Amino acid sequence: MKIDIHTHTRKCKSGDAPTREISPENFCETILSTEVRIIAITNHNVFDLAQYTEIEARLGKEAQVWPGIELDVTHDGSRAHLLVIISPTLAQDFAAAVTTFTKGATPDTFAATIEEVLAGFDAFGPLYVAHYKQKKPSLSDEALAKLLAGTKNPACVIKEVTNSISAGIYISHGHASIYGSDIHDWAKYDEVSRQLPDLRLPVDSFEHFCLLLQKDPTTINTTLDKKTPEDLVLIPFDDSSILKVRVYDDINVIFGPKGTGKSCILKAIAKHYSENGIDATVYAGANERLEDIFDTRGKDLKINLVDHSISYCSDEIDALRKASEVNVTSVLKYKSHFASNATNRNAKKILLKDLEPEEESGAKQEFGDFNGAVTKTKAYLEFLTENSAVKKELTPEEHQQVTGILQGLLDRLRKREWASFVVWQEIRLMNSAIKLFRAEVERKSATPAKPITTGFRDYALNRITIAAHAAEIVKCVDTVIPTKTEIVGSLGPNKGELEYRTEFQFQTGDIVDSSLYSLTNAKKTPQKKFITCVRKIQQHAYADDLFQYIAELNEIEDVEDIKTVNELLLFKRYFALSGAYYTPSTGEASMVMLQKELGSSKDVYILDEPEKSLGNEYISEVIVPLIRERARSGKKVFISTHDANIAVRTLPYSSIYRCHEPTGYKTYTGNPFSNNLVNTVDESDRLDWKKISMKTLEGGEDAFGERGKIYGNDKS
Amino acid sequence: MHLAKEEKSMETTKAKVIQVEEKYFLVIDAGDGEIRIPLSDDKPIEVKSAFNKLLTRIKAGVFKIELEGVGDDLFFQVAKEYVSQLNKEIPTIRTEMEKRGLAAK
Repeated sequence: MKIDIHTHTRKCKSGDAPTREISPENFCETILSTEVRIIAITNHNVFDLAQYTEIEARLGKEAQVWPGIELDVTHDGSRAHLLVIISPTLAQDFAAAVTTFTKGATPDTFAATIEEVLAGFDAFGPLYVAHYKQKKPSLSDEALAKLLAGTKNPACVIKEVTNSISAGIYISHGHASIYGSDIHDWAKYDEVSRQLPDLRLPVDSFEHFCLLLQKDPTTINTTLDKKTPEDLVLIPFDDSSILKVRVYDDINVIFGPKGTGKSCILKAIAKHYSENGIDATVYAGANERLEDIFDTRGKDLKINLVDHSISYCSDEIDALRKASEVNVTSVLKYKSHFASNATNRNAKKILLKDLEPEEESGAKQEFGDFNGAVTKTKAYLEFLTENSAVKKELTPEEHQQVTGILQGLLDRLRKREWASFVVWQEIRLMNSAIKLFRAEVERKSATPAKPITTGFRDYALNRITIAAHAAEIVKCVDTVIPTKTEIVGSLGPNKGELEYRTEFQFQTGDIVDSSLYSLTNAKKTPQKKFITCVRKIQQHAYADDLFQYIAELNEIEDVEDIKTVNELLLFKRYFALSGAYYTPSTGEASMVMLQKELGSSKDVYILDEPEKSLGNEYISEVIVPLIRERARSGKKVFISTHDANIAVRTLPYSSIYRCHEPTGYKTYTGNPFSNNLVNTVDESDRLDWKKISMKTLEGGEDAFGERGKIYGNDKS
Repeated sequence: MHLAKEEKSMETTKAKVIQVEEKYFLVIDAGDGEIRIPLSDDKPIEVKSAFNKLLTRIKAGVFKIELEGVGDDLFFQVAKEYVSQLNKEIPTIRTEMEKRGLAAK
């Protein structure tokens, strides 16, 4: 959820751009297409109640719109701008007050003093947002002091700066700061809105926002508890002392000097969740090797060939290895038959023996076709009859019509199935009888029977089967498996995305790339010999020397390791930038490992000093947003850190501070919203969250302030 | 008794019985050579080799063997029967090749 405390809907001053004008309808449509859910309308010296009321009605509960005005104020002869934003419940009275306040002046000529503003609006309990420093025309520190002195609620005076960097620096210096879009062209609002501030705490209303600004403890605790709080009871240390901490399904930071047991607390947290069946391990980036995390050696690498429409060919490989030649009918049987004189009278009478057997494969095939059609049609009819979605979609009449047609088809197919079965069995019966009679006549009359077949059919079918098996294996290994590319993470704007690539390649017989590893236990030499041999079998399927290659196949050392084409797979995994090989440095390795950790799907993330080996820019631009995103998704993130970007900029729901004093170790818990850190064993012992953060993470207030002066003034 | 099959016009290849010294052979014209099947001796290796050539020929297209000449001598009768049976088997083999995607189009 984003907030925009400074917008314009009307061109009020002559110098205002016409693109500031927007209709209530377009305003609502534009706002709702962004992440902005709280918006204040602050036109120059004007409050348009009618427009505000229409916008509020149109937005409904989708977004909050707060009434306001951007006033020209003068102080000591200089002009500045001051936003006055009030509760929506007071919009009507506010409109009347503005009318009275600006009476007799145009938006171009109107100006008021701080005293007049306080007299006119302070009774509304407003939020004052003053242009400050580089946000021109800005209010001087003296004018601000007067405003702070005169208002009944100084916590609701905020300084408006130009952007998030300035806001961060001023906030760090103790100035309550914010920035709004001050939109000049609504056509660009979508882009502009992306830079607007995120609200770390959910804000229910204008009044709620003001209470949070006042750091009202009850309001803060109630707001924090909208996330799910969990009280952990941990025993992290050797002395068995108990540590009780309240954590949230958000960001929980543990900070403090080195050697104060922060890692022990993280381990205890991991243990707590693991014992409750939740995947929780401590991530300590710099201690783990990139190669191990990404399994570049493919220890656990697998592939489902079916996903790539590749058959495993286990039957084909098994059949090839067991293949043997089929014998043919001796021509001497023909010679014997025709050479002998069938003198036996009875033998001559048995004419059945002289009938020619009929080829049965065609009839068998026809029966198979109808049988298959019957099975599938029947199954589909059953599906249509039982499936609730089909019944829901079709009217009873339509359902009856569809099933009626299918039933009719099924009946006809069954008739054809039976008829073809009868034909096939008739042929089989006849062939069997012919064979039997021939054998009997041969036995009884000593007249050699005429051979039924030359043996060519069976011989040929055996060779065809071998050829088909070899062809299938070759087809599979010749299939190209696309390279799997996953984006590991960003190496920053200059280098771009680091890719992790997994290439699978079958040993096709001519691959000699030493960077490829075998995916399975099968060794590379047998793999190569195997597929080379299968190719020869395919080429020689109808040649005299076919079985020489079958024998060669079986003689390959460790051939039994190759049971499917999966055992012919080779792979390599590597990192790449824009498709080219790339070896990440130690720092880059840390970057990608952390991104991988945060990118994995977990309920609990436990990070021990994730900033190790990482640059500040990277932490700020990549890691902090990632951590925030995890928190927004309701995940628990525990971070032990020495980095201010992480400990402060993430605005943790829970901060655990560990320190060591002469009296021993101490643990404080708190959060940046209350700005308190409270000793877990002594509630009266309290520390200032901001000061401790600066001292621990930035080397103290002076050092931080010094850096603020160096960087801040240039950038703001 | 069985479903009537449509007669298709089919390529024909010639065959003949030849005698070389005391031996008889069935010689089938395979276009780019001849396929020789011994009829008077039991030589399974040579028969298989001939079958392999027939297979290669079937791969190119189905055909029918037509035995040339007439005669009543023993080896002509053997050849006639042998060719008759081969002619029955060839279409089945071609069909199987087609089914397995191994036949030339």
